[in-house]
Amino acid sequence: MDFSSIPLLTITTFLPVVGALVVMVLRPKKTETAYAIGIATTALTLLSAILIWIRGFGPGLSLIEEFSWIPSIGIAYRLGIDGISFPLVLLTALLFLTALIFSAKIKEKANIFIQLVLMLETASLGVFLSLDLFLFYVFFEITLVGMYFVIAKWGHEHRKKAALTFFIYTLVGSLFLLLAFLALYLFSDPNTFDMRELIANPQITGLAATLTFWGLFIAFAIKTPLFPFHTWLPLAHTEAPAAGSAILAGVLLKLGTYGFIRFPLQMTPDAFREFSPYVIVIAVFTALYGAFVGLAQTDIKRMVAYTSVNHMGYLVFGIAIAAVTTTTSGMIALDGAVLQMISHGVVTGVLFLLVGALQDRTGTREMSEMSGLLKVYPILGWLFIVAAFASLGLPGLAHFPAEFQIFLGGFDVYPVAVGIIIIGLPLTTALYLRAIQKVFLGTLPKEFSGVSDLNRRELWAIVPLIAGTVIIGIYPNSLLSLIHATTNFFGL
Amino acid sequence: MATDLLNILPQLIVLVTAVTVLCLEMARRPLAGLWCLVIGMSAATGVAVDMLGTETTAFSTTFRVDALSLWAAAILSPATILFALLARAELKDQVREGTIYSLMVFAALGAMILAGSGDVMFLVLGILIGTLAGMAMAAHPRNDPSSEGAMKYFIYGSVAGAIMLFGLTYWVGLTGTTLISALINPDLSPVIVMFGFITLLAGIGYTASLFPFHFWIPDTFEGAPVSVAAYLSVVPKIGALFVLAQVVREIPVSVVDWPLILAVLAVLSMTFGNVVALWQDNVIRLLAYSTIAQSGYFLLGVIGMGQSGLAIDSLVVFGVAYALMNTGAFAITLAEGTRLDDFKGVGRRRPWHAVGMTIFLLSLVGMPPLAGFVGKFLLFGSAIESGYTWLAVIAILNSAISLAVYMRIVVPMFFQEAEEEQTKLYAPGTSFVWISTFILTIVAGIGVQWFLGGG
Repeated sequence: MDFSSIPLLTITTFLPVVGALVVMVLRPKKTETAYAIGIATTALTLLSAILIWIRGFGPGLSLIEEFSWIPSIGIAYRLGIDGISFPLVLLTALLFLTALIFSAKIKEKANIFIQLVLMLETASLGVFLSLDLFLFYVFFEITLVGMYFVIAKWGHEHRKKAALTFFIYTLVGSLFLLLAFLALYLFSDPNTFDMRELIANPQITGLAATLTFWGLFIAFAIKTPLFPFHTWLPLAHTEAPAAGSAILAGVLLKLGTYGFIRFPLQMTPDAFREFSPYVIVIAVFTALYGAFVGLAQTDIKRMVAYTSVNHMGYLVFGIAIAAVTTTTSGMIALDGAVLQMISHGVVTGVLFLLVGALQDRTGTREMSEMSGLLKVYPILGWLFIVAAFASLGLPGLAHFPAEFQIFLGGFDVYPVAVGIIIIGLPLTTALYLRAIQKVFLGTLPKEFSGVSDLNRRELWAIVPLIAGTVIIGIYPNSLLSLIHATTNFFGL
Repeated sequence: MATDLLNILPQLIVLVTAVTVLCLEMARRPLAGLWCLVIGMSAATGVAVDMLGTETTAFSTTFRVDALSLWAAAILSPATILFALLARAELKDQVREGTIYSLMVFAALGAMILAGSGDVMFLVLGILIGTLAGMAMAAHPRNDPSSEGAMKYFIYGSVAGAIMLFGLTYWVGLTGTTLISALINPDLSPVIVMFGFITLLAGIGYTASLFPFHFWIPDTFEGAPVSVAAYLSVVPKIGALFVLAQVVREIPVSVVDWPLILAVLAVLSMTFGNVVALWQDNVIRLLAYSTIAQSGYFLLGVIGMGQSGLAIDSLVVFGVAYALMNTGAFAITLAEGTRLDDFKGVGRRRPWHAVGMTIFLLSLVGMPPLAGFVGKFLLFGSAIESGYTWLAVIAILNSAISLAVYMRIVVPMFFQEAEEEQTKLYAPGTSFVWISTFILTIVAGIGVQWFLGGG
């Protein structure tokens, strides 16, 4: 069979659901069997994503797979990939694999948990690969339902409240997205839901474009999240199970930031340019707010959650810079923003897994109740320190090349804003150093009788992500070359 | 004449079915009546589906055979079968079981006549048939709550109907004809057209349970058998909303700004229905208020009539979706019980019931890829294309509130334990109803193309 005729994107997207169906039909009695099926499926999905890389794709949206769906109103099943969506697909496949390996300790209703996680993976991949507004929205919404049940069933003490807040809050956002999509459809001529058409010649103008832009902005600002739409995040991240938090932070937040690039930047570019000063102010504020509030946390998981808010601020700042200027600095900032998505996914994903491992051992997330743990858990401790250094932006680790590019690109256009936003860096440094000092250094309580250090299962989940962090840090060009080919193609 | 009769063949079949079922009840053969209903309504469905795409009128343009009236027949006939099966499951071997079947067919006939009305007389006839049959069904258990509910239904119906009749005489006096299409003349006196329209809204709003004509809904639903409440939540509503679309398409916006009036009603219905539903502890009352809200969403499609190419498609698709998801939700309520507490621990006892109910409720919220989502998607599109973006914004905020409403049922199913371990028995007919609507809610959401193209 001709290799190039295989619909790789469709296979990648729907492989997880096939795995979920296998679990549903077989109903394995032993949780080990169920996890074996689940992990095998996610591993195959990762393999399929790598095959996409091997086959190669152009700088523009390519490897298009299209089938007629609702022809009366111009809706079709359209998938495609470019240098912006591919790294996210790779990230999604990797994170779901590691998250599922990590959660293999969950015994309660394991079959259903695995099915939900696999469904979530299909939905997330679908969002990144969709080239049709309708299809995009379908996948976008399914992620909400899946995540709701993951948090509400397998989360920590306040899980129900956190899950419901997450569900309703983000539903409001996606409904605004729906309206914006309808506007994009109604103002295109001929009417179409085809994202390639809408990107190639954005037709919406005037007041309609302004309203559409703000509709998209609210939708993605809630998802990302940006201040003041972030209030669901700390709650949901803290209460979700460790793997759930890793997926939520690593993948689901990226739906928002990916949306910022795909929709406002590409489909309403003029409106984005016009309102970019507001977006920049919000982004700068978000970054600082996340860092300051993170500094005030005593719950280590909540602290990591707030650093997410901080990183998302940098990220959206980079996208807004790309909206303002069409010079090389815009492109540099956008490259940085896309890389930041991947770095944040890997680093925050592994941080949440490590915090989960820590909570399993100590039974608490309060930093004041932990001390000197490096002595009993050296592997866990050192890995946490590496991940924390990556998160605070140490050169040689994943966040540094991304943030450096964002600030570099931004410096050309808004030097003052860069001057302010950069305050976030010492703040995150401070909060991570303080956390390391409290939790891992100091003296171990005398009566401490801990269980063993990271076991094999946890290492299998955590080490690949740490490796990813180092690879991106040392050789960012592995991904940047792909990203840059596409941003260059945008003609920014 | 012969072609006229052929053009209304689906409605004729329903009429014949209704009379036959009634005769069988007189012979005390309820099961035979049920079979007759199933066969007759299946035939009506088949004929209606076969006729889809026809655009004509019957009886000197007084009855319209178009996308709306044919889809009404194609939606309501199979829906009636499902409701009859639910009624069988609930009321089996009770006295007067068979009357429910014949009344259901009569009320469906009323709704189908409504949906094709091109004439004021048909409109009044449709509302009266539906109301009288519905009232008798609501009173079926003959206990206090049901009698109270039926009485409210009847009195509100009489008053609203009388007001409507009074106002409609002005239209007839103004245009000299009972045809609705006569209103299209832009030189008519706006005051009188407006007066007629407002009174018409009283009649239709009552049947379709729009705010502020909704007062009978919660009590009547609570008192009536669950299957009858399910029936009343779907059949008369679809007929009434479709006839509203038939009427407003004839009224020039320059004479009466009916889109604005309907938009206000839509906002009130959606917001009132969803907010009050947040407070309910009885699932039937909760669903009753939610149907008021859903009527509000329907109006987004009516507003698009004549202004948006999506209007008729949106009404049809949401009509299909609404019939499916509401029927399914009532069917599971029939199996599990009417108090919120009855739903505790369903996820453990009967996981598939919990999954089914969740799907129906998420479809009511408008989650893709379910049927309710596509319906709302088209409704919002219709409103935006007609220039009512603000209405679409309010509608989406209401969708978010409705999520909170429906999660009040979902949460106890999965995350609370039942106080006493009881497994209520239920008839297999209920399973048939919910499983078929469950599959169709998903299939219709993905295969929506099949319902489009009504013009």
